[in-house]
Amino acid sequence: MHSVSRNRSRRLLAAAVVGAFALSLSACGGGGSGEGDTVVIGYTGPLSGGGAAYGENVQIGLEMAIDDLNSDGVEVDGKPVTLELKALDDKYAPATAASNAQRLADQDKAPVVVSPNAGAIKAIQQINSGRSNFLISAYTSDPAIVQSDNPLTMMIPPNFESYADEFTETAMEHGGKKLTLLGTQSEYGQQWTESITESWSAAGGEIGKDNSIDYATVSDFAGPVSKALAEKPDAIFVGGPSQPTALIMEEARKQGFKGSFLVMDQAKLDEMATVTKLDNLKNSVGVLPVAEYEDPGTEDFLKKFADKAGDKKVATSETALNYQGIAIIAKAMEVSGSTDDPEKIREAITDALPEVDDRYKVNGFPEEITDEGHLVNPNLEATFLDDDGKYTKIPIEQVSDNK
Amino acid sequence: MTLFIQQLFNGLALGGVYCLAAIGLTLVFGVLRIPNLAHGSLYMLGAYITYFFLTTIGVPYIAAIGMAAIILFVLGVGLERLVFHPLRNSPHTHHMIAAVGAMFFFQALAQAIWGADFRRMDTPITGELRVLGAEISAQRIVIIITAVIVLALLAWFIKRSIHGQTIEAIEQDRIGASLVGINPSMVSMLTLGLSALLATIAAGLVAPINLLSPTMGDALNLKVFAIIILGGLGSLPGAILGGFVLAIAETMTATYVSSAFGDTVAFIVLVAVLAIKPNGLFTKAVQR
Amino acid sequence: MNALKNPRIIGTFALVVLIAAAPLFFAHENYAMRVITVGMCAAIAVYGLNIILGFTGQLSLAQGGFFGIGAYGVGLLTTDYDWSFWSAFAVSVIGTAVIGYLCGLIALRTKDEYFAIFTMAIGFIIFLVISRWESVTHAHSGVNNVKFPEGGGLVDFGSPVAMFYLVFVILLICVYITYAVRRSSVGRTLLTIRTSEDLADAIGVRVGFSKQLAFAASAVFGGIGGGLYATVVGFIGPDSASLDKTFEFLMFILVGGMGTVAGPLLGSMIVTFLFELFQDFQAYRFIVLGPIIVALVIFAPRGIIGYLGGFVDKRNRRRRVAAARRSAEAAESANRGGPSGHDDAADSHVTRSGGPAAPEEKK
Repeated sequence: MHSVSRNRSRRLLAAAVVGAFALSLSACGGGGSGEGDTVVIGYTGPLSGGGAAYGENVQIGLEMAIDDLNSDGVEVDGKPVTLELKALDDKYAPATAASNAQRLADQDKAPVVVSPNAGAIKAIQQINSGRSNFLISAYTSDPAIVQSDNPLTMMIPPNFESYADEFTETAMEHGGKKLTLLGTQSEYGQQWTESITESWSAAGGEIGKDNSIDYATVSDFAGPVSKALAEKPDAIFVGGPSQPTALIMEEARKQGFKGSFLVMDQAKLDEMATVTKLDNLKNSVGVLPVAEYEDPGTEDFLKKFADKAGDKKVATSETALNYQGIAIIAKAMEVSGSTDDPEKIREAITDALPEVDDRYKVNGFPEEITDEGHLVNPNLEATFLDDDGKYTKIPIEQVSDNK
Repeated sequence: MTLFIQQLFNGLALGGVYCLAAIGLTLVFGVLRIPNLAHGSLYMLGAYITYFFLTTIGVPYIAAIGMAAIILFVLGVGLERLVFHPLRNSPHTHHMIAAVGAMFFFQALAQAIWGADFRRMDTPITGELRVLGAEISAQRIVIIITAVIVLALLAWFIKRSIHGQTIEAIEQDRIGASLVGINPSMVSMLTLGLSALLATIAAGLVAPINLLSPTMGDALNLKVFAIIILGGLGSLPGAILGGFVLAIAETMTATYVSSAFGDTVAFIVLVAVLAIKPNGLFTKAVQR
Repeated sequence: MNALKNPRIIGTFALVVLIAAAPLFFAHENYAMRVITVGMCAAIAVYGLNIILGFTGQLSLAQGGFFGIGAYGVGLLTTDYDWSFWSAFAVSVIGTAVIGYLCGLIALRTKDEYFAIFTMAIGFIIFLVISRWESVTHAHSGVNNVKFPEGGGLVDFGSPVAMFYLVFVILLICVYITYAVRRSSVGRTLLTIRTSEDLADAIGVRVGFSKQLAFAASAVFGGIGGGLYATVVGFIGPDSASLDKTFEFLMFILVGGMGTVAGPLLGSMIVTFLFELFQDFQAYRFIVLGPIIVALVIFAPRGIIGYLGGFVDKRNRRRRVAAARRSAEAAESANRGGPSGHDDAADSHVTRSGGPAAPEEKK
């Protein structure tokens, strides 16, 4: 069994392993080569595993923003600055995300780290203001991350709790008083379910059992849908990633459901239309698709997105809002005159917001940032997809982030 | 009552899905004693390659499944040669970790080729059937029927054909089998190839009712292990029964107890059964 | 026996010293300190796996679950119930021991593949309970702001270096326990079970009881690792109890070397760093890492320690042969019996029993 070649290959392998170990040690100890004019924007998100599609959408937005900003030219304290994206994969695991963020801050001297997941952001908040200092560009609509009083967090999307009342009102109007819950069982889905439950009961509606399922692990949606429909609801709350959500709505229509849908903001109606017929999606209330925005930069943004990601892919707010987010941060660097002091950058955001070029306003551009670090767009809108397949905009009144 | 009948049919369809996915694994785990954790990713690759033929090349549905099945057969043989053959004298631990390595590789590969986005596979089988007020789609009926047919064919193959009998011979007595001239290497290759082929047929049929993604095999993987252990290793009737029992238990628990614990049931049933019968429901007297 | 001449002890010692000195180089590198400290937490759980898998030969796939119980015990008690870290830590470890013992009562009725899959189901149920039982575990929202250990005014465990040494000291205790068990009669009992349960039974070993103890001990190590992990990381989510953790641990022990004293530590460190190193490939890193894992398992089946042990054995053998030859020559010339050159032989059991030939023979 121990032939000569086997022994040799083993020795090679041992050499390779030792080499890799040495390399990795040096990689860890090395530290960043700080070129004066390049600033690294860090990103840690799910780039492999179940959340990879989501992580990629965010990454595309970051890349597009950095490309555009670099070609426009960013000037901080009189010197031209080149932005560079460094992306690391965390597979959705909070602890890995925090390690990644630490690495980006330590080695690449990134003043800003983008993270698109509430759990990961909470883990990163343990380390970002203290021994290490960096700003978190937080893409999550969970207000818990600004309730924690972290001084270096910038929350990008609107608080999801804002949607519940308008969604309830619209769905009741087009469906009826009886709601059944069929959202996904993720952290975020559970919070949505809670928020909708509250609003629906407050509006005098009736709610059946919680039928939430884990969209990622269910092999066949027919069973859960049959169960939900057995409650004879007038409206169904659904939502998780766009594509499985679309399948659930299709299955519900197939099994004869005629009422309205409340679609959680994680699912995007136009993206859902790529996997099912638009007919299955009608009579539902959800967030406004990026393509329906009339901001000054939206049209150009959509063109550039199609060039980068292909015609078949639908631009979503994950891409668009992070695109805006980086533009805001770059402007804040210019205003503060600093690329390496996250506190100054954070402070400068208020003054930077009105300065941002119109071409970067693509998806409901924020007008102010709260003291807790939440970007606020006062003209937030949702949408109702009616029986003719048309989007009607619904203005949303935003709720406070405080508990 | 309508709900009960509806859920019974849904449970049967889900059972069909589980059975189809489990068959390949029963062969490899039951016969060769290799806990192939990469089985789910073979299923995933089978789905993507079927999708490739169906959508990108434009081959008819059944032909696309067939062509993908042949490719996966070759891939299965390759997996045996490159990964499991060199490990034939190692303990299970090594197989498991090697299989996890292969799984990582396959998932990353699929993501590199097809991207991380969900994709939908269209099927020409449309329409639905109404039975006693319950509705069931034609695709799901095809799944149940195919599961039964494939299992019957497999049973016939193992009992009646020469190649199949070599598999059973190896299962019963490795040394004895090689004494009478059966080549264990050939049988290992055949078994893994066959299991990948069966996974592809399952994927081709099941994928249209859900979505394609590089991680689509993960959710099935664990349950399928629970099923074949529940039925008893290497027992085909056990796998069938295990698949349907778990699927119906899952659907009914989700319906009448709590949605949240629907997919936990498979594992609770498994733990309960093994606590009482430590060798599964249908244990064959396997010679060691 | 002269321990100072034993390359295995020297090697283990060198590895420990190397890690102990890490803060000297990385004190200002929060990232490196964090990776090493988290890696050591995992290593503690891997030492648990070493007892049940490496010594006793039972493939337990519930280790990630026990790790999660330890982590959530500390996490929930220090936040929702505002306990001090130390009391929470003690209670979690005891709790893991009890749960581990109870699980073992049923799990050890099964054997071989059934045991592996059964424990996998237990691990998965633990994960499902943690990720679904919202009112207690906060499900996917996770547990935030887990307390640092109280230093009693002497040490500030908020500092990465202090935290590093805390985990390091506990890790050392685990390494020592492994070493002590390895040499004790308990260790030999477990090894006998690994070689053959029937044989062990025949020579009067209490097979069931010993396996039960080994399983509970492995759970305790898992709980210790998890509890420390919670305080090091500060935020824990259900992924800390996931099956992926179990397979990570398995990878660590396989790469390091099953049934050895230094293997789990070395494996944990090397694989952790490999994973970090390949981060630059982002989504594609598993195209490279996957085959590396397969290659390691195929070409170094006894792990790195087992592999290095092979050299040591070879050298010992060569020495023995040379010594024997010398003594034979001496005997020839002087016509009397020579001294024995076998004093190293007693230690070579580490590799021999760590090899793939002995444990879990294929049927």
